[in-house]
Amino acid sequence: MNALKKICESPAVLTLIHYRVVVILVVAVILSASLVPGLTEFRTLSLSLDRAATLGLVAVGLTVVLLLGKLDLSVGSILALSGIAAIGLQPQLGQLGAAAFGVCVGLLAGVLNGVLVVLMQINSLVATLASMIFLRAMCHFVTESNPISGADPLFGLAVSRSLGGTFSLRTFIFLIAIVLLFLWLTYTVAGRHVYAVGSNEDAATASGVRSGRYIFGAFVFSGLMAGTAGVMQSLATNTGSPVFGSTVTLTAIAAVVIGGTRLEGGRGSALGTLGGVLVLAAITTALEYESVPSYYQNIVTGSILLLLILLDRIASNSPRSALSLSSLLPVRSKEQSPAR
Amino acid sequence: MKSSLHAGAVAAAGALLLTSCGGSGEDSPGAESAEGMDICYVAAAESHAYASPANEAFQNAADELGVNVTLLSQEFDAQTGTDQLRTCIGRNPDGIVLWPLDPQAYIPGLVEAQDAEVPVVLINSPMDEEAEGLYTSFTGPDTYEQGQLAAEVMDEALGGEGSVVIVAGQAGNGTTIGRTGGFHDKLEELGSGIEVLQTVNADFDQQRALELSRDLISQHGDDLDGVYANDDTMARGFIDAWTESGRALEDMPAIVGINGQRDAFASIEDGHYTATIVQSPEEDGRLALETIVAAATGEEVESRIPIPLTVVTEENVAEEEPAF
Repeated sequence: MNALKKICESPAVLTLIHYRVVVILVVAVILSASLVPGLTEFRTLSLSLDRAATLGLVAVGLTVVLLLGKLDLSVGSILALSGIAAIGLQPQLGQLGAAAFGVCVGLLAGVLNGVLVVLMQINSLVATLASMIFLRAMCHFVTESNPISGADPLFGLAVSRSLGGTFSLRTFIFLIAIVLLFLWLTYTVAGRHVYAVGSNEDAATASGVRSGRYIFGAFVFSGLMAGTAGVMQSLATNTGSPVFGSTVTLTAIAAVVIGGTRLEGGRGSALGTLGGVLVLAAITTALEYESVPSYYQNIVTGSILLLLILLDRIASNSPRSALSLSSLLPVRSKEQSPAR
Repeated sequence: MKSSLHAGAVAAAGALLLTSCGGSGEDSPGAESAEGMDICYVAAAESHAYASPANEAFQNAADELGVNVTLLSQEFDAQTGTDQLRTCIGRNPDGIVLWPLDPQAYIPGLVEAQDAEVPVVLINSPMDEEAEGLYTSFTGPDTYEQGQLAAEVMDEALGGEGSVVIVAGQAGNGTTIGRTGGFHDKLEELGSGIEVLQTVNADFDQQRALELSRDLISQHGDDLDGVYANDDTMARGFIDAWTESGRALEDMPAIVGINGQRDAFASIEDGHYTATIVQSPEEDGRLALETIVAAATGEEVESRIPIPLTVVTEENVAEEEPAF
């Protein structure tokens, strides 16, 4: 017991725990590189990243929502609805116009969530659960439950094909979004305020931060990102389907949480989310190449999630030195503001 | 059909062997060139009453020929599948077998496969006309014809009039569209007086069918003369809901399902299941593998290779074999 305690308290271990996302990512990449012949080839890498881009964009939007201690369950439905708009309105608006409109659909859905959570003061889980169901029903309603397709299947290839032998357009958009979010959260006053509101909304409000605006903005941003992801997904497949995005919400939340963002809010980072998305992408690629059934993949994902949350407890209860094993026990202080 | 195709594959493989490496002189020259071939298989799902035996037959046929199979499971999510198709192309396999869950969404992926000169064979479910020419062959049952056959049986069973409900698969799924569309079109063509009261999507899932059937029964109850389920699994869900509601098996509406499952056969024998349409998953899986191997060895293959369908009713249930 004492020996274990000592090991856990050693600075090296604590540092490892602090950079747990990086550690897990490195392990996952090494494992998949050894399992998958040719993973290190640029083409395979580029394809894997392209696959992760849809999930990644949704996760970028969710990162801000989770940082504020809220949840957005409606991103999957928003993804589907924007995609349907981007394909279905092509005859009326043209291909680019419809794509832009699809992104706007995402934005508007985000505004809806913002109104529900901030103006009407509905708990974000309940509010976005409602909009998730409502928007999904809209998807089925406008398409009469059948997938719709665009006139030109080749138009969307621009989104998913690698540009000049590098990454695809949506991969670039995802990576740029991550970097911009990182810079905004880290180096701007507004970005720091996000952390303040997430840690303690009432305290932040009391010290002059307009918490409501940040939360409203976060939902709009999340909708915008889900909309963008949906439009690109639909263009890449030339299909707007009412069943698209049915699994993306929880996977994206898992990616954000694996990346070290807390559901309670106030902690996390954009680069962590990048790490979380890459971990999931590496696992999926590796296990698929090995023909491992997908439920095993979910076992792995679930285990990593649990492991990281336990490690997070160690890391957050110790300012890098004063670790006790009791920190592993669920005696969390009640520091959070009461749930709204 | 199947055996001639197999022989064709062997012949083509043999010819290829003669031209490429004439000196090796092994006992079984046919198996040689297929051996070591990499086939990427994007399957519908892993654990499912129909998909599992189909996948297994696919794998067994591959083992016989010494073909390596990488199986990716979409778990009934077309979005996952489109990504997996592109991952497959990235692997540069000798051939790809795709189980399309959406009639459109894979088209850009198929274009990329064509660019990369990887032959693709569609298994089980059809795609839209726009996809024609982008894949080498489509093996599998004609789902539209299944719908038509189901309509004929239903029309006959009800004597050309009555009220039915449809328990359909996933909305937007190619199989659902074919089986439901064929049913509607055939009823119209026959000038049948049968009215479709309602269509529900139970996603080929027995539990979901049970839940939806409870609603159907409480809503339409004794007005129901017939139930058409897109597969036998969902028909089972309806039957369970029917008995659960305290109604007698003898009062059961006419039930028509598809797939030819063992329990459907048993119910037909018991007399409270009107008909099922047999399509064999083993045939489905094996045919797809053999076709892709033939295509990958450069042989000409038919662009449409259907598997045979049999309507099983009380009259012939004793002679026919259940599919699984």
